[in-house]
Amino acid sequence: MSSLRRILIMAEMHGRDLTRRHAALGLLVALPLAFYLASRGSGDQSVVAGGVGMAFSVSGATLFSILSSTEVDQRLVLAGYRPLELLLGRVFFLAPLGTVIAVAFSTVMVVGSQPTRPWLTFLGVEAVALLSIPFGLAVGAAVPRELEGTLVLIGVVGMELAVGPDSAVAKVLPFYGPQQLISSSLSEAGPIVGPLLLTALYGLGLLFLARLFVARRVDVTRHARTV
Amino acid sequence: MVAGPDVGHAHGVTELVASKVTKRYGSTTVLDRVDLVVHAGEVVALTGENGAGKSTLMKICAGLTRADDGEVTVGGRIGYCPQIPGLFELLTADDHLVMFGRAADLDRAESLRRGHEILAEFDYPLHEKRVTRDLSGGTRQKLNLALALLADPSVLLLDEPYQGFDRGTYVNFWNHCETWRGQGKAVVVVTHMLAELERADRVIELQAHPSRSAAGDER
Repeated sequence: MSSLRRILIMAEMHGRDLTRRHAALGLLVALPLAFYLASRGSGDQSVVAGGVGMAFSVSGATLFSILSSTEVDQRLVLAGYRPLELLLGRVFFLAPLGTVIAVAFSTVMVVGSQPTRPWLTFLGVEAVALLSIPFGLAVGAAVPRELEGTLVLIGVVGMELAVGPDSAVAKVLPFYGPQQLISSSLSEAGPIVGPLLLTALYGLGLLFLARLFVARRVDVTRHARTV
Repeated sequence: MVAGPDVGHAHGVTELVASKVTKRYGSTTVLDRVDLVVHAGEVVALTGENGAGKSTLMKICAGLTRADDGEVTVGGRIGYCPQIPGLFELLTADDHLVMFGRAADLDRAESLRRGHEILAEFDYPLHEKRVTRDLSGGTRQKLNLALALLADPSVLLLDEPYQGFDRGTYVNFWNHCETWRGQGKAVVVVTHMLAELERADRVIELQAHPSRSAAGDER
């Protein structure tokens, strides 16, 4: 119970911190919208571009939340938090936030592009938003600074947008599953279960990696007690 | 290298023991078999030139940095106040108190009650609800110190905690060291302020290891 309370407090504090960053909040919404609007000329593919563009904003926010507070995090662990609680505190705040943005953004795309299966657009974009959180956490925990993290993020998501969905590279990239879901929403046929499972597997794997890296980054030695 | 003799103390209870602590960064040895013993109800001032390893020793004692060799044992909860306040820029003092208090299983009301009490002792402007980014350096440092004290630790590791304090708060800080001594806490203060050394029970001077250059950074 006390662990859950600590997670909820961390979620609340990350919420307070991010909601005071008005420009960042604006960009969180504006970035995927810009991707979508800029690619409207390419027909249905604008929905895929916009959906995957969500990964930039949500994983960017996640990345920043972890890299901007390494010193505080270590002090919080010294004070009594477990590294996993710090990680889950971020997830508990970012997941609902990502969901809200995903729903709002999906609505815009469904109205603007009228995909064949709109519910699948919602599902695909939501999958992008949720997967972006463990992705941002894993990258943020693995790299030393914001610059390196941002470059990794641009590299991975950029590659996701640049390579064709049938290429071998695309199939090993983290957002391949959600990308498939969004593509499936544009026609009557197309896989659903496979991409969903792939997304879940990637999410769990990335969360596990983030847990490993965060534990190493904020490691605190618990000294033995004097007799 | 022995950082300071274990002279014993009236309270007798040993709260912090660092034994043969060694730390190297690459080919540079920062600490070489350093010993440090601090008892309950004792204030120890830790001095030494830049690069002597004072901050490194404090971080090792706090558990934030791993020693290459040697061991540390502690009597109870550690309160650590770093030289540079590690705070969330867009959270207020109250937010920090609630967050750090929860780490010690204090509820929101108790965290704020205790935190405000400590901050008031250091003349923190409690009526201001500004985020820490907008606070002066000295005010941030007061919050930094309060977070170290919040869970009522038995060992206090304070790494130049008075940076940015005005004269009155600085004197007040050393008065508090005497209060903490009276409460039976083991207090280690990294300091360069020679004028106040007489207020410590013991002064330990760390010497820079010969492998360090004279222009080495403080670690």
